Amino acid sequence: MTEAKKKILIIGIAGGLAQMTARLILSENPEWEILGIDSRDVSRVPKLPGLMALELKYSRGNFENLFRTHTFDVVYHLGRLSHASNTHNELAKRIDLSVMGTSRILDLCERSEVKKVIILSTFHVYGALPDNPIFLPEDAPLRASIKHPELRDVIEMDQMCTTWMWKNQNSISTVVLRPCNIIGTQIQNSMTRFLAGPIALSPIDYNPFFQFIHEFDMANILYKAMISIPIGTYNVAGDDFISFRQALDVVGTKGIPFPMFMAGGLNSALKKFKINVPDYLLDYLKFSCLISNHELKKHLGENHLRFSIKEALELIKLR
Amino acid sequence: MFKITPEDDQKITEIFSDLKKQYQGYQDPWGFNLELCEKTLRTIMPFYRSYLKVRVFGAENVKDYPYIVASNHTGQIPLDAMLITMAFVMDVHPPRVLRAMVERFMAQLPFLGDFSAQTGAILGDRANCQYLLDRGESILVFPEGVRGISKNTPDFYKLRTFSQGFYRIALQKKTPILPVCVIGAEEMFPFVFHAKKLASFLKLPALPISANLFPLPSPIDIYIGKEISVPDHLQAESEDKEVKENIFHIENTIKRMLVHGLKNRRPFMDPIRKPISKYVIREFKTKGFK
Repeated sequence: MTEAKKKILIIGIAGGLAQMTARLILSENPEWEILGIDSRDVSRVPKLPGLMALELKYSRGNFENLFRTHTFDVVYHLGRLSHASNTHNELAKRIDLSVMGTSRILDLCERSEVKKVIILSTFHVYGALPDNPIFLPEDAPLRASIKHPELRDVIEMDQMCTTWMWKNQNSISTVVLRPCNIIGTQIQNSMTRFLAGPIALSPIDYNPFFQFIHEFDMANILYKAMISIPIGTYNVAGDDFISFRQALDVVGTKGIPFPMFMAGGLNSALKKFKINVPDYLLDYLKFSCLISNHELKKHLGENHLRFSIKEALELIKLR
Repeated sequence: MFKITPEDDQKITEIFSDLKKQYQGYQDPWGFNLELCEKTLRTIMPFYRSYLKVRVFGAENVKDYPYIVASNHTGQIPLDAMLITMAFVMDVHPPRVLRAMVERFMAQLPFLGDFSAQTGAILGDRANCQYLLDRGESILVFPEGVRGISKNTPDFYKLRTFSQGFYRIALQKKTPILPVCVIGAEEMFPFVFHAKKLASFLKLPALPISANLFPLPSPIDIYIGKEISVPDHLQAESEDKEVKENIFHIENTIKRMLVHGLKNRRPFMDPIRKPISKYVIREFKTKGFK
């Protein structure tokens, strides 16, 4: 039985993951309509039947107008800014977009009686800390900002969404997803760039473990979040994990041996040339932050991913 | 100076051949590396056999199922974890690599954190213990925690109050406890000054400054007691009072093993050690067991 026609809003449509999700939704449900918005340039968004992309500032007026002129059944909030820059201006912009923007979106979803809201958070909310136990569950404390206050917007946004989710649990089914590192050829994030570059710093004094998910699998889970995942917060990861050095070997990236105690200083120096990595990512090169997929598997089954970590890493070589 | 004996070399080859079959395809999220364990064991075997002359008593008490091995914590530098782990590989049948629980401090250390993780040590956390016990691994815990190491000379061999975490995990997983005591490790660094303020400034758990930089060849005896089962009527969330009674029993068992071990140890620096042994035994006897 085909589902009733739905109208979907995707916030952050300029991103590769949002586009893959839109393509997947429309391939499964060609009669559905998607409105994609982004504050970034949307000219590269593929022209698909059923998908309309708009470049739009995330101001209250614009948003209100959007919700007045359309009746959305589902809202995907995939529009969080990346943490590639840590300058003061960037932080202010991120807080405005991630926290204030999200607050506006949630408020409008509540008022316009949206039935389902899917929010993309990140596993970075847990933080890479030396005392992280393995396979952090969803109710583990969000400690990322203990060492990196610049991540507070990520945590604030996540907490705001989960609070809102339970407050509106009787009227809106909200799903907050905290995926591990998403990698792929279409996604533009720090981890993919770091791994797929010709060379990468390889710590000689630490060798933490990572979880990766391929962008296709992530898009698939975003789609399934709409149809088969009930209200709640979910970590998104596979069952496997890989050490950082092994990951570099699989991708074929040449690792430059480097002691991590010098990494902070080097990264600061590289900031002048704008080729640094975000400071918080350096911690992920020292300490593991592995998340549990137990809750997600209850709804999606044991084999919920198509690609293993090794396959996902091999695929980014095609970049 | 010290070389591995051909017998030990052959024994390590045989043991690790079996362990490799047992661990085939095994991967854990700390990077456990059996090949590195074997290599390390070969390197430090002379230190274990010829320098510290380790003797193991009670190996027959170990059966072929997972345990939580609970030991007293001794020494300024906690080499006891390494020695117990080696004993369970070399002198216990069936051999096994104990997964030692370590402090967060260890995980932070460059090189050493990674090395210890690859040779089986993991951060002492309940989730980690449960993960390993579910996979049939035996774990090594020091219920005294970091308070057990870096003792002043009058406190050698005195047990600090045991924490409850290990016992609650044992209750949850219904895993028997194997009491172990190590004799001799306290005297590896007999004269120490504890730079507590400097340790606090450097964010270290302890900073003992010793007259000797390398451990003295204090003979080591490792006693493995009979397993202590966890009672069926207790649960992981049982009240402190009930849990503490059982932990006291484990503490007392280890204390008795300590007294026995101190009475029967081999001669080494006796003018220093004998008064220490007498003092400790007298303390245990006058104050009694808990």
